[in-house]
Amino acid sequence: MIKIELETGGSVWKLLKKTGDQVKAGDTLFILEVMKMEVPYEAPADGEVESVYIVEGETVEEDQLAIEISTR
Amino acid sequence: MAEVEYHIQMSWKKETDEITERRQLARQQGGLEAIAKHHGKGRLTVRERIDKLLDPQSFEEVGPAAGAASYDDEGKLSKFDPANFVLGFGKIDGRRVVIGGEDFTMKGGSPSPAGLRKSVYAEELAVQFKVPLIRLHEGSGGSVGGKGQSMPAPVNAPARFVSVAEAMATVPVATAALGAVAGLPAGRLVASHFSVMSKTTAQILTAGPAVVARAMGEQKTKEELGGWKVHTKNGTVDNGAEDEEACLKEIRRFLSFMPNNIYQLAPIVDSNDPVERAEEYLLNIVPNDRRKSFDMRQIIEAVCDQTSFFEIGAGYGRSQITGLARLNGQPVGVWANNCKFLAGAMTADGANKARRFMELCETFSLPIISLVDEPGFMIGSQAEKEATIRHGTSTVLTAAMTTVPWASVMVRRSFGVAQAAHYGPEGFILAWPSAESGPLPVEGGVAVAFQREIAAAPDPEKRRLELEHELAAKQSPFPRAEAFGVHDLIDPRQTRLQLCLWVDRIQPLLPTLLGPARFSIRP
Repeated sequence: MIKIELETGGSVWKLLKKTGDQVKAGDTLFILEVMKMEVPYEAPADGEVESVYIVEGETVEEDQLAIEISTR
Repeated sequence: MAEVEYHIQMSWKKETDEITERRQLARQQGGLEAIAKHHGKGRLTVRERIDKLLDPQSFEEVGPAAGAASYDDEGKLSKFDPANFVLGFGKIDGRRVVIGGEDFTMKGGSPSPAGLRKSVYAEELAVQFKVPLIRLHEGSGGSVGGKGQSMPAPVNAPARFVSVAEAMATVPVATAALGAVAGLPAGRLVASHFSVMSKTTAQILTAGPAVVARAMGEQKTKEELGGWKVHTKNGTVDNGAEDEEACLKEIRRFLSFMPNNIYQLAPIVDSNDPVERAEEYLLNIVPNDRRKSFDMRQIIEAVCDQTSFFEIGAGYGRSQITGLARLNGQPVGVWANNCKFLAGAMTADGANKARRFMELCETFSLPIISLVDEPGFMIGSQAEKEATIRHGTSTVLTAAMTTVPWASVMVRRSFGVAQAAHYGPEGFILAWPSAESGPLPVEGGVAVAFQREIAAAPDPEKRRLELEHELAAKQSPFPRAEAFGVHDLIDPRQTRLQLCLWVDRIQPLLPTLLGPARFSIRP
């Protein structure tokens, strides 16, 4: 299981994947908006989105768990 | 008359045998059992660490005879406990260094009287001989009570930490935390220009779990208190490395960029990377859409000699990127903004990281390459709580006081007071077509300056966007270049060539910078 945690706070500008989606390494999972800048988060490996803990439009905190990806 | 037996010693063989015996006992450190226990925890002994780091057979030990001897009833040596700090000279890539470290197999590295004397001597030796100092730490500070406590220092003893500060102002100091490091050794660990900790074996603790539990009522493990996740993020250490050997490799790498002392220049190496190498991807790396981020580290890789970039402090103050690299073989300091982290804004910790980095470059006369994408000081309630304006301004003034040559490349944004930190006095300034600069970024500035006009417009959102667009055009680098506000406006693909030419031009300046810096570095 890969845990995607947030490096900074900000707001979730676009959530591009949902639970159950298949993802490939490098796919953009979601985009945060931080200080008027888009910060995309990518899948580090192929897998299936197991859980999504963030909501589009909501503000998020540093170190918050955003998405879990199952790799098998 | 009774016969008197005279025993005339014909040689010093007995004594030299004892010297040999003491040497052997000293090399046994805390004994086979203690060493086996240490290995069992996946850790190397201090002597093994020293041997792994230095060029083969290059260790010249200092003070191997220091320690505590015990004698039997006949006055014969029965036991010899060596000082539990191993110290000496050695070579790294053929260059001499002073190296030392606590011996954890004896008293857990808590200094024995002779061990303390030797450890204190490490800095003094490095300053005297003007060679880099490496300390490999694993140990704790003094303990209360017990036998063998040394007397307090007399009032006329030299101030304890003067040599530590002098070493930092005179020679490169690189340190590693390889096991638990607490108290005084932890203080010495951070009194360095580069520090690295092992992710698998090290913790750094001002005080360990037992002391913390007693004083604070907090129940924490060593790892929770002072593991790599804590200390690479807060800047206590610069880098984390997977294990002890990886830490030693980082120290070798760091030293490869450094001169032996402040009276010498950093070694220039032969570079087989052509100065004309122009990476095509630089043309598109900065998105036209100002909301989109880009990877500054890719720009650093494209501009500097291939694979030469050695990042320092990647885990903390992450809106700023600092490290050492080479341009056509010349060691340089590289400082850049990372727009993927808090838009690259200057946070309090990012400011401290950058200030300390400039101090490193100033101390050792390293030219600074600055790749600028600075939106300004970090804002918001958290930033105010962290005294960002104070730390940030300290960084701005540090830049203003530097004497080393600077080349700044305006990659994208250059705003506010914070941007001033990215340009040194009499610096060489290049701008990319994507450069924009001004008192503050357009988005924030328009909302404030045209508040009433926007509110009064039939479609306020539309008017805001129009104004942003108009003002963004004014922040283009062309008017700045026309006004000779930059030395040149360049194709991003030409950055490496331009910087390598600059490095060649500044060669006559560098020797004039040698000697004590106007200001030095503090941990």
